[in-house]
Amino acid sequence: MASINIMKDKCVGCKKCVNACPFNAIEIIDKKAEIKPNCTLCGSCVSSCKFNAINFVKDEVEKKDISHYKGIWIFAEQRYGKLKGVALELVGQGKKLGEELNVNVTAIVLGDNITHLGEELIAYGADEVLLMDAPWLKDFNDHIYGEIMIELIEEYKPEIVLIGATSNGRSLAPHISSTLQTGLTADCTILEIDREQRLLLQTRPAFGGNLMATIVCPDNRPQMATVRPKVFKSLKPNYDREGKIIVLPVRSQIKSFVQKIRHIDNEQGANITDADIIVSVGKGIGNANNIKLAQELSSILGGAIGATRAVVDSGWLPYSQQVGQTGKTVAPNLYIAIGISGAIQHVAGLADIETIVAINSDPEAPIFKVAHYGIVGDCKEILPLLIQELKSKM
Amino acid sequence: MKIIVCIKQVPGTNEVKMDPVTNTIIRENIESIINPFDTYAIEEAVRIKENMGAEVIGLSMGIPAAEEILREAISLGIDKGFLLSDRKFAGADTLATSYTLSLGVKKIKDFDLIICGKQASDGDTAQVGPSLAKTLGIAYVTDISKIIEINENNIRCMKITDDGYEEILLTLPALITVVKEINMPRLPSIKRMKIAQDSQVEILTFNDVEADENRLGLKGSPTQVRKTFIPIHNINNEMIEGSEKAEKLASILLGKIRRS
Amino acid sequence: MKQLKFAEIFGDYLRDESRQIGTAESILFSKTEEEIVKSIIDNNKKNIHITTQGARTGLAASAVPNGGHIINLSRMNKVLGARYDKENDRFFLRVQPGVLLIEVRKYLANKSFIINDWDEESKRALKYMDPGEWFYSTDPTETSASIGGMVACNASGAKSFKYGSTRDHIESIRIVLSDGDILSLKRGEVYANDGKFELKTEKNNIIKGILPNYTIPNVKKNTAGYYCKPNMDLIDLFIGSDGTLGVISEIEIELNRTQAVNWGLTMFMPDEDKALDLVRALRGEKVIEDFPTINIKPSAIELFNHNALNMLREQQKINPAFALIQEVKESYHTGIYIEIEGDSNEEVWSKVQKIGNVMMEIGGDESSTWVAKTPIYLEKLHAFRHACPECVNMKIDEIKKTDPRITKLGTDMSVPNERLKDVMHMYNDDLKDKGLKSVIFGHIGDNHLHVNIIPRNIEEYNIGKKLYEVWAEKIASMGGAVSAEHGVGKLKIPFLQKMYNEEELNEMRKLKKIFDPKQLLNRGTIFPYIEGEAGIL
Repeated sequence: MASINIMKDKCVGCKKCVNACPFNAIEIIDKKAEIKPNCTLCGSCVSSCKFNAINFVKDEVEKKDISHYKGIWIFAEQRYGKLKGVALELVGQGKKLGEELNVNVTAIVLGDNITHLGEELIAYGADEVLLMDAPWLKDFNDHIYGEIMIELIEEYKPEIVLIGATSNGRSLAPHISSTLQTGLTADCTILEIDREQRLLLQTRPAFGGNLMATIVCPDNRPQMATVRPKVFKSLKPNYDREGKIIVLPVRSQIKSFVQKIRHIDNEQGANITDADIIVSVGKGIGNANNIKLAQELSSILGGAIGATRAVVDSGWLPYSQQVGQTGKTVAPNLYIAIGISGAIQHVAGLADIETIVAINSDPEAPIFKVAHYGIVGDCKEILPLLIQELKSKM
Repeated sequence: MKIIVCIKQVPGTNEVKMDPVTNTIIRENIESIINPFDTYAIEEAVRIKENMGAEVIGLSMGIPAAEEILREAISLGIDKGFLLSDRKFAGADTLATSYTLSLGVKKIKDFDLIICGKQASDGDTAQVGPSLAKTLGIAYVTDISKIIEINENNIRCMKITDDGYEEILLTLPALITVVKEINMPRLPSIKRMKIAQDSQVEILTFNDVEADENRLGLKGSPTQVRKTFIPIHNINNEMIEGSEKAEKLASILLGKIRRS
Repeated sequence: MKQLKFAEIFGDYLRDESRQIGTAESILFSKTEEEIVKSIIDNNKKNIHITTQGARTGLAASAVPNGGHIINLSRMNKVLGARYDKENDRFFLRVQPGVLLIEVRKYLANKSFIINDWDEESKRALKYMDPGEWFYSTDPTETSASIGGMVACNASGAKSFKYGSTRDHIESIRIVLSDGDILSLKRGEVYANDGKFELKTEKNNIIKGILPNYTIPNVKKNTAGYYCKPNMDLIDLFIGSDGTLGVISEIEIELNRTQAVNWGLTMFMPDEDKALDLVRALRGEKVIEDFPTINIKPSAIELFNHNALNMLREQQKINPAFALIQEVKESYHTGIYIEIEGDSNEEVWSKVQKIGNVMMEIGGDESSTWVAKTPIYLEKLHAFRHACPECVNMKIDEIKKTDPRITKLGTDMSVPNERLKDVMHMYNDDLKDKGLKSVIFGHIGDNHLHVNIIPRNIEEYNIGKKLYEVWAEKIASMGGAVSAEHGVGKLKIPFLQKMYNEEELNEMRKLKKIFDPKQLLNRGTIFPYIEGEAGIL
């Protein structure tokens, strides 16, 4: 059984390991380190010890032969014939990773009437596109899509499978990985290649974004990750790029115990993930009434309205508007943070944003550390003036 | 009807403090709590029980001290708690965790519905629910914001998606994960707390479940943490000061909008 | 360009939470005591009267100007220093009047003071403080209140049941007088002597006078008129004086040590009488024969009457912001909320179990309770408590649209312990008799309730207004106070006139004139302005 042990004769009680443990699972008792029961065997402490006093005993795992897994796959999510932005971001990023590994990038599209998407994916960086086009694949379904992906992966054996961390992607990916008994890293924000070991380095925020963790999957294939939308920039499309489009034979229909009855789409423009300008509010705005000021500002600027967890938890705005670790990642050109303190959980939802403006009455608010422009002041006083000024000049 | 609620013990805060001298993490002794998303799962199960009669069982995997959060779940209305706890389970990633939980579910037997929170607040992966369903070979739907109807054979519910909502019909037994919109979790009553105080949580060790040791704990976890680091934000920022802050900001904003 | 009028630019500063709207000609957002002094001297020369404002969260319209000049203190919002009295283990903060309660709380919870301008002693004192170790106990529902405003109206709150009101935690104050001179008062230094007083200003002027000799009510919470006792500490004269004697420019507040655990507990009883019995039991009174009294010592005891719960139920259905508070079951008739502090969870839990027993003994059900034993859960109960006044405000705002003359009608009266049931019966009977819609909630531990009439039209509004005056008279005859925590301001002058007779009110006016001969400061607050020497005996 795996365990982490302290060799008491070598331990000097220097506390380096205590500080290195992200789970607070090491304590110094009588000047010696002691591993507490809540240790998760993550191994962070091992390298922190200057005295080689930490012994990480791992069980021998039977190594499978994984050398025949080759290539990078992107699950290209589409809805009613339109690709999700993250699919295009991923083929671009996949291409970069593929160049490092010297392999092709293949996009997989499942759906009804979707053959036209092949060209688009190639233009955005895919070397190869596999399409399965059938009326019964029209609606996304975890079970049906998952089973087809499993069959294809077992047949083609890609070494990496990337899926957009959309609500569908986050639901689909574990279905595939748990069937294939392989690793899956959620919500990655950085993807790199360790060329020496031919490993995908998957970095994701942990502890609500307070800590970044780089995860690897050394012994199982494929290496699977979901990737947050808007984290990677898609490549400039080149419709002259050459690539292979393969329309797969349609397999026999899969039955599912999950049946979609109907869908109700959000109104256009409400989706903060696609907005270019977001006016976002935190609890510092004072009360639900002041939200109207932010909404007015947002409509003047032609933007969408975003919110922190505290604001949606209070019912001041719907959950669909929540930005952050447990909400949505956004990447507008302009993000105006009003009364937002800037807790890391919120900042974790701000991808590559050109301009962040923060208005907060607390000069010490952490939001000012990530903002390009900051105003210390009461938003109740500043917003009306700002609105008035913008109205008069626009 | 028998409902299983999966409950994770998480740290009460995600705050990570840095020691400015050693540049390492300081994690103070933090109280453990029920994963906030799981409180919605507990509440939904208890509401089903109140409406149509059901037995609600809490299932957790963790260190022996996690018994306390199952007791707390009893104070919130569940009937019984099971805790999978063994050193052999330690070091599990989401795959091994799902497998271990499936052993607990099999031990509890004859369930109709499993409810999980959307994700855990310490890991945020949202993987264990779907993985558990797949390991058990049952249907699942994630991100449920409302249960419209439930009977012995089916559950009809609303799922939140990136584009809006979907109404879904699922055949039981099945697993759903729930989002915060679904309900307002209640607080414990004095009566429930007295009941919880007198309740026993059943501990399931390696010997109590029929496990393939290769799929447990660290050994059964394909993913490994290679390194951890604190994210750094480097930004040149300009504080707008003086008496005409709003006017200055307005012209900056106008500049940005006109350029794009 | 169009010339903007004062009201268009500074409209917000013509109102406060009382929803009254006044007028003014000029405003100063002072940043320092010197600026206050200069502004007062300038305006005094020109005989322009002055209204002082803090965060404008008051409910009695003290901060609503009636012409003249405004001195707004919201930009004097710094914590100036700290002091630790090691010998007696007492901690103090020196603050400017405009600092908000919520800011003080945040600074204390995180120990995040901005100390650049602090003196060495203050910086040293901080070494004796851990984050969250100390707190400021006065807790009015509106946390965006300023400390200066709280001193001006001697604010209290839920926890005043255990910790007392603002007055009990003010160690020293600086006051700019109407001639620009300054009084600096420290608790325990200057006392009245058998109704006579003598104060020395910073310019070495002596202010002498005689205190009014009325008897203030024997209740824990009172801010109705000047606080006067024959041998009082003279700092207390200024606390609760509604800004009528001077402008507070600096305050030293005393902190309390934070208790290790703090639980909240909301209990629902099947009728109001049983709820009142529960309140009495929680206070340690003997309620049931053969059942021992319990020793709980809650830090707060609050009530939500049946109508208040109905209003919340109704709002929960239609307003998403209220959908997130706990579900109020139909069987819940009257709610009692308490907070219990202690050294350990075990200690508090054993008290809560006893409360459960006594609740059942009185006729309640232990299932109809919400227990909050962590800060996250406690926040939910606070949100519930806060929802009551928010709902009332929303209702009033709605009605105001149909008739702008209608404003909030809320009482703030307290009575001695033994009159609890009498005062509740009085409210219920009179409201029923007049056919008025209302909700009642508040600090029942101190027999201090907020009765809010929700008028459906101007006729009901006027009936309600009259009823309040009737109640003021009845409350005064019960030995109670007509304003317990909001101050008299401008709105409660008629009530004060029921509590004190003409002669006593004139004594107050006379006292004001000693400090403010031209009656320039907060004119029309506590008593109506009468020009010249009229009214002076």
